[in-house]
Amino acid sequence: MNTFIIARRILNQLQGDKKYLALSIIAPLIIIYFLKLLFNAFPPNVPITNFTIPIGALIVHFLSFLLCAILLVQERTRGTLERMLISGYRRTSIIGGYTLGYLGLATIQAAAVLFESLWLFNLDYSGQTIFLLFIVIWLLAVVSVMLGIFISTFAQNEGHVFPFIPLIILPSVFLTGLIIDTNTLPGWAAFIGKCLPLHYAVNIIHEIIKPTYSLSSTYLDFTILIGYIFLLWILASLTLKETE
Amino acid sequence: MTNAVEIDHLSKDYGKLRALDNIILSVPQGAIYGLVGPNGAGKTTLIKTLVGTLKPTTGSVKVLGLDPLQDKWKLRKHIGYMPQTAALYDDLSAKKNILFFGAAQNVPDLEKKADDILAFAELTDRGNDLVRTFSGGMKKRVSLCCALIHQPKIVFLDEPTAAIDPHLKIESWNLFRKLAKSGVTLFISTHLMDEALLCDKVTILGNGKIIAVDTPQKLLERGKTKLKYSENGEVKESILDSTPESLANELQKLGLNQNITSISLQPDNIENIVLGIIGEKQNSESTG
Ligand SMILES: Nc1ncnc2c1ncn2[C@@H]1O[C@H](COP(=O)(O)OP(=O)(O)OP(=O)(O)O)[C@@H](O)[C@H]1O
Ligand SMILES: [Mg+2]
Repeated sequence: MNTFIIARRILNQLQGDKKYLALSIIAPLIIIYFLKLLFNAFPPNVPITNFTIPIGALIVHFLSFLLCAILLVQERTRGTLERMLISGYRRTSIIGGYTLGYLGLATIQAAAVLFESLWLFNLDYSGQTIFLLFIVIWLLAVVSVMLGIFISTFAQNEGHVFPFIPLIILPSVFLTGLIIDTNTLPGWAAFIGKCLPLHYAVNIIHEIIKPTYSLSSTYLDFTILIGYIFLLWILASLTLKETE
Repeated sequence: MTNAVEIDHLSKDYGKLRALDNIILSVPQGAIYGLVGPNGAGKTTLIKTLVGTLKPTTGSVKVLGLDPLQDKWKLRKHIGYMPQTAALYDDLSAKKNILFFGAAQNVPDLEKKADDILAFAELTDRGNDLVRTFSGGMKKRVSLCCALIHQPKIVFLDEPTAAIDPHLKIESWNLFRKLAKSGVTLFISTHLMDEALLCDKVTILGNGKIIAVDTPQKLLERGKTKLKYSENGEVKESILDSTPESLANELQKLGLNQNITSISLQPDNIENIVLGIIGEKQNSESTG
């Protein structure tokens, strides 16, 4: 019950801050457009379709993580987190409410990024593939929101979030198979890549954009991606401090 | 009846800094209890320990007989807390803020209560405006509304009237008095000494230590009163203790003959008294 109240409050807040809302939907679209310009300059033999949707997924991953982490840290610095707890909201409701509230935004982001990529890059996928792509990006967005909540518990102020950005995003770019095939990486680097949720999302995307794909070969990756949601949920509820 | 607050040998350290030092204090229910002290005295730290967001380093606290950490869910139904900073959502309206914090406890008739409390805070017209557009004092008032919306049995107010204009300050204290009459306990921190006079009992805190616990009347009596009179056209002065007895005593000495044509009394103001008490205590400690 309280979970929904918190989720509704977050949606109300997003509504109250329309500029922010617009920016968080338009920003990824602009990045995708730049990507298109970049890829136009590539020689025609580069398989850009292998990169477009995964990079879109990365953008959603990064933005959802960042927005959620910063807003939750803001609650701490402004004292509203403390006030929520003393008013009687529980940690689990706060985490649930945040996830639910941001999911609305993340869903729109995921859809916008996916459709813009399909359109700009003239990707001709079947309806089922598009649906699956959406599910993957959306699941990744949920993971990102949970990751944002988890990371925010280590930050006393907004500035503390920034060191985590390269720590999470750079390995995600280089070690998860997004740009470089993980099989060509040294063992330790491939291992780090396998610890990152984006790796599994990229695996699934690479599989389902093949003309002949088998859904069953993605089951494990899907399971792991969903597993991340639960793992981060538990970690976040363990680290979200109520007292000092 | 259990005491509203029971503090037993409480100390709180932030790293090496001892913010609260061996505090012992009982607060009965249904009273306005003042916590007075200069910046950095430990007022906020003490209140946060009582509402259960700070863990005591040693010692224990009980609020309404409950432990703020172990029994927090039971306790949180009954306590209200107004933090020193506004602690509101800027991008929500005043009313939405109040409704949000009230909803945590499933308050019945929440809408109506929110309207009533907005009316009290004289914010009815602005209730649907975003808090972002409010002045500092208005934010304080919204924050007070959020602390009272679930009709708690005890409220902890951390400098509730700082930045509030004189008219609403008086109104706020009228409300505090009304709440106390209906059995609510109010634990109010302030660095405004004149507000201390409006409390039923005052604790003076300095450097994390309790320096005095007394009624405002008794605190005033710790000061001195300057008695000025003119006798045969000559202005004379004497300094008395501020007790009614010492005044009677002095007047008896004068015998109030016809030569004395005017008398004026100038009691110490509460600021001087409290600062004096704090200074005295700290001197006596530094000299051993
Ligand atoms: N989070 C913290 N970390 C370290 N020290 C702290 C922290 N919070 C408070 N202190 C220190 O503890 C002491 C008491 O601070 P506190 O905020 O309780 O004072 P206060 O009486 O509320 O002051 P004010 O009137 O300025 O609000 C101060 O010396 C302060 O520097
Ligand atoms: Mg304070």
